[in-house]
Amino acid sequence: MEMYIDPHIHVVSRTTDDYEAMRKAGIVAVIEPAFWLGQPRTEVGSFKDYFSTLVGWERFRASQFGIIHYCTMGLNSKEANNVALAEQVMELLPLYVGKEGVVAIGEIGYDDQTEAEDRFYRLQLELAKDVNLPVLIHTPHRDKKKGTTRSMDVSEEHGLDPKMVIVDHNNEETVKEVLDRGYWAGFTIYPHTKMGSDRMVEIVKQYGPERIIVNSAADWGISDPLAVPKTAALMRKMGIPEEHIRMVTYRNALTAFSQSGQMDEQDWLNAKPVDQTRKLSGNSVLRGGQTPRVEGNHDTIEN
Amino acid sequence: METQKTLTSFLYQFLENSSEKPALDWLNLQAEKIHSDGTPTKFFLAFSQASRYFKKLPINLSVDQKQKASELGAGFDPAHWDLLQTARTILLLQFPQEKKAWFGAINQLFETGDMHEQQALYSALPILPFSEDLLPRAIDGCRTNMTVIFDSIALNNPFPFKYFPEANWNQMVLKAVFMQRPLYRVQGLEERRNLPLANIASDFAHERWAAGRPVMAEIWRLVVPFINEKFLDDLKKAIGLEDLLQIKAAVLACTESDFVPAKKLVSNYPEIKKEIESGAVSWGKIGIEFQNRV
Repeated sequence: MEMYIDPHIHVVSRTTDDYEAMRKAGIVAVIEPAFWLGQPRTEVGSFKDYFSTLVGWERFRASQFGIIHYCTMGLNSKEANNVALAEQVMELLPLYVGKEGVVAIGEIGYDDQTEAEDRFYRLQLELAKDVNLPVLIHTPHRDKKKGTTRSMDVSEEHGLDPKMVIVDHNNEETVKEVLDRGYWAGFTIYPHTKMGSDRMVEIVKQYGPERIIVNSAADWGISDPLAVPKTAALMRKMGIPEEHIRMVTYRNALTAFSQSGQMDEQDWLNAKPVDQTRKLSGNSVLRGGQTPRVEGNHDTIEN
Repeated sequence: METQKTLTSFLYQFLENSSEKPALDWLNLQAEKIHSDGTPTKFFLAFSQASRYFKKLPINLSVDQKQKASELGAGFDPAHWDLLQTARTILLLQFPQEKKAWFGAINQLFETGDMHEQQALYSALPILPFSEDLLPRAIDGCRTNMTVIFDSIALNNPFPFKYFPEANWNQMVLKAVFMQRPLYRVQGLEERRNLPLANIASDFAHERWAAGRPVMAEIWRLVVPFINEKFLDDLKKAIGLEDLLQIKAAVLACTESDFVPAKKLVSNYPEIKKEIESGAVSWGKIGIEFQNRV
């Protein structure tokens, strides 16, 4: 069975069907970057509960499907523009960055490339240095090329080692500079706005597998939680060597994020069989005695 | 103050035996810092980062140590604890116990805790100060859907037994039944049996049977002091299911009852009666056997 890591997916927005399909497709671990919710939050308490969900319930939920869940903590660039709120979120972050399974500060960076975004991006780069965690950079949808370059410039200004920084949502226009400057380059296979899998195959053909990381960034929008295994399948079909596929869909993500000391291959290779105290039953995702469904849909619902 | 010291050194021995020196050095340093400066920031960070130094391996208590724990914390029972939560509890005990500041910090920990942090917090309830003010927190904690957290309150913990009002106690026990948790590990289960809970248990069994689902055998322990015609009918129904564990539980319940028709029923099961007398059948053993099946 192939093993995949999806190092960028917002699983809080996904259903149990998705989790089952992901596990079936070979996804053993996911990283859920803290992001926005599709609409701006108005209270710091909403951030607190969201962050707690990432290290609590969602991690537990994923484990019920045999998937190890990690996350990154940060104030996203969109919501950095509500300065009064952003300042409160910054006070909250130190409570979460040291928690188990927090593998980076992220996703942070620029959206509209405003002054406020710049200010909170820099503050979080300093936080990452303080706690010695990698950084996951979200590059903007608009004015992407400039935004990507600026993200790296500012990161270097703050003295971060490119090896500790994953620059995400790359495309054909940004990849060369990101790789040349020694960063990890994330590629998001997301219909219409980011990469398609055919284009991804071409990128790996052209640039090789070093420091390239494929993810789905699946969230509440039209997106595909199986983007990583599907892209791997396409690469296989297109004759990309197995070792290269393994690097861009598993190994590189592990190497980059395990620099946090919070992610270890043994977490899933030696995962305990779901033990009694952790098994869900009762008022929860799986009812007592039920096992995750792995086949397609049935006409009846199990009692 | 003295209690905190005694508890700390009691818990520390389990870490000393099974953790590495750098981890112990780290813990000592953090404990000292928290104790002396009392600012929550360092405390929060240390509480989280304990996971980088201590593993989730079980601490193993001897019979004497179990006894000692129980004396120290009036029923305190860390037999199922791991090293990490033991280290976290030591950190908790170091935070200066000035009520306002203490609650400020502890509330923050509860509200931002990940699963294992919350597990540590709730299992430590019986040895934390200001017990009565922690009651709403404990009751709220039972609303979790994470089994680890529910267990940390409901199982091997004297706190609910001592402090929960009857309604909350009954809700917790019923939820334990619903989640198929081992009732024999609920402290004070027998002492706090009550008629409303027995009725709830009976209703629950009827609901499960109507849906064609089984009921855990330990549930019958809840009805023992109240067995009358109605509850005896339930026990007869349980016996009729031809599941040996159900039969054992129902016969055990009848054995412990003062209701004459129930006593009579026991004589139909001389083998089980003998096993009950020899201790081969007990609520604990029924609970264990059920958990091994789940």
